Amino acid sequence: MALIQLNSLSIDFPIYHLNARSIRKRFLRLTGGALRKETTHTVIVKALDNISFTLEHGDRVGLIGHNGAGKSTLLRVLAKIYEPNHGAIHIQGRVSPLLNVMLGINPESTGYENILVRGLLLGLSQEEIKAKTQEIAEFTELGEYLSVPIRTYSAGMQLRLAFAVATCIKPEILLMDEMIEAGDANFKKKAEIRLTEFIEQSSIMVLASHSNETIKRLCNKVVLLEKGQLKYFGDLDEGFARYNQLDSVN
Amino acid sequence: MLKFSLSHNYRLALIDLVDALKSWRIWLLLAWHEVKLRYRRSTLGPFWITLSMAITIYTMGVLYGHLFKMDLAVYYPFLATGILGWNLISLIVNDATMTFVSVEQFIKQMKQPYLFFLFQSVTRNFIIFFHNILVLVPLILFFHLKINIYTLFIFISLLILWINAVSYSTILALLGTRFRDIPILVASLIQVVFFLTPIMWSPTILPERYHYIIALNPFAQFMELFRNPLLGTLPSNYTLITTLGLTILGIFSSFIIFSRYRARIAYWL
Repeated sequence: MALIQLNSLSIDFPIYHLNARSIRKRFLRLTGGALRKETTHTVIVKALDNISFTLEHGDRVGLIGHNGAGKSTLLRVLAKIYEPNHGAIHIQGRVSPLLNVMLGINPESTGYENILVRGLLLGLSQEEIKAKTQEIAEFTELGEYLSVPIRTYSAGMQLRLAFAVATCIKPEILLMDEMIEAGDANFKKKAEIRLTEFIEQSSIMVLASHSNETIKRLCNKVVLLEKGQLKYFGDLDEGFARYNQLDSVN
Repeated sequence: MLKFSLSHNYRLALIDLVDALKSWRIWLLLAWHEVKLRYRRSTLGPFWITLSMAITIYTMGVLYGHLFKMDLAVYYPFLATGILGWNLISLIVNDATMTFVSVEQFIKQMKQPYLFFLFQSVTRNFIIFFHNILVLVPLILFFHLKINIYTLFIFISLLILWINAVSYSTILALLGTRFRDIPILVASLIQVVFFLTPIMWSPTILPERYHYIIALNPFAQFMELFRNPLLGTLPSNYTLITTLGLTILGIFSSFIIFSRYRARIAYWL
């Protein structure tokens, strides 16, 4: 059973002001002088502030909040990319982050090569990929095109391939930043069925989205973030009600 | 509390290392793909570098051989092995500083051991190097490059070079991620090192009182470690001891630094 526990977790981001990242400034700081004042301060942004919640098997969580509220940061924390400065995170189960479906897709590689590389990055073994290649090829309907570099594909075809590979795994904890798209309109129906199956296989899903409809359709809980703080965790209706309240206050 | 967090950091760094080593199939394949892709649309492929290196070596050899008044049968093998080794070392050093920066989108989208990317980048340069070995073929045919039992020592030399490449690249990669002028700084320093290291000039023409330039230059020591087996002799004891010392120093210092700053990499990008 998958489980995610966040215990008063905080993420601080150092923003290196203009050139503060350069060694010249460091050096000037050492030598002292008038520049000291403006270079010593690095701006610290609290991207997430004291967040606690627990997700269990069967939870389909929608992350809502305005731009810059910390949705993507929270997803990256769940993907173990950012290790927290304060507080703790405890995760049971394998995390499959699908934050960008095109990740690792190389335009110069052929369709088959991309299936292999993308599959490896998703954590599949070479044998597993070999076993799934046929199914992916059929689903994408790309046929002979799979043997040529994908820079010759249309954008829709590339997306179809990326989508098919990304959804060939069996995720345990699934993380998505905006709903993954499948491209062409006539392909949409088939893709939606595959996507629903894909999500149903997961034990926990966390989806960040600006589309309230998508979240209402796929999720059974929401996490409402505002300026890095957890404003609400729980029911969909209550969550959206509070989200709308935030809007009216502003 | 501090003690706990310290050992905690070491443990996480060790896990990173073990996970990265375990996925050797993937980084080896990705390194191979990168080399292949870079030259996919050209006929000669990676051998373009080999060809341009051969042209450099064989034209420079004539000129500098005469300038230094050296027998070409001695100078050509010396210069060719030197440039071959230097090409490997300088590529690794130059790529090292940008290792994490160049894979930012990977680091920010999925959890992957950080050392995975270092293994990939170092190994990619070794793959390019194995293509370049071809420049030695004319030497073997026309200049009777000595091949004997000592030549086999090259495999040990390459292994030591690989280990050092990974450990020192780790430090450079961390620095290059945190301070964005490090890549530029290193790229210009490495050119100075080129002139201070016996690549074009032989240590035999350097006056005795300047030999400290070689003795104190770690690059010169690694150069000898690499070059001597290819010229059919063993590296000197001094070279063996210094390179071994540098290897141990590199492993420990890079591990300590990596443990300390590993978790910050994602924040710095």
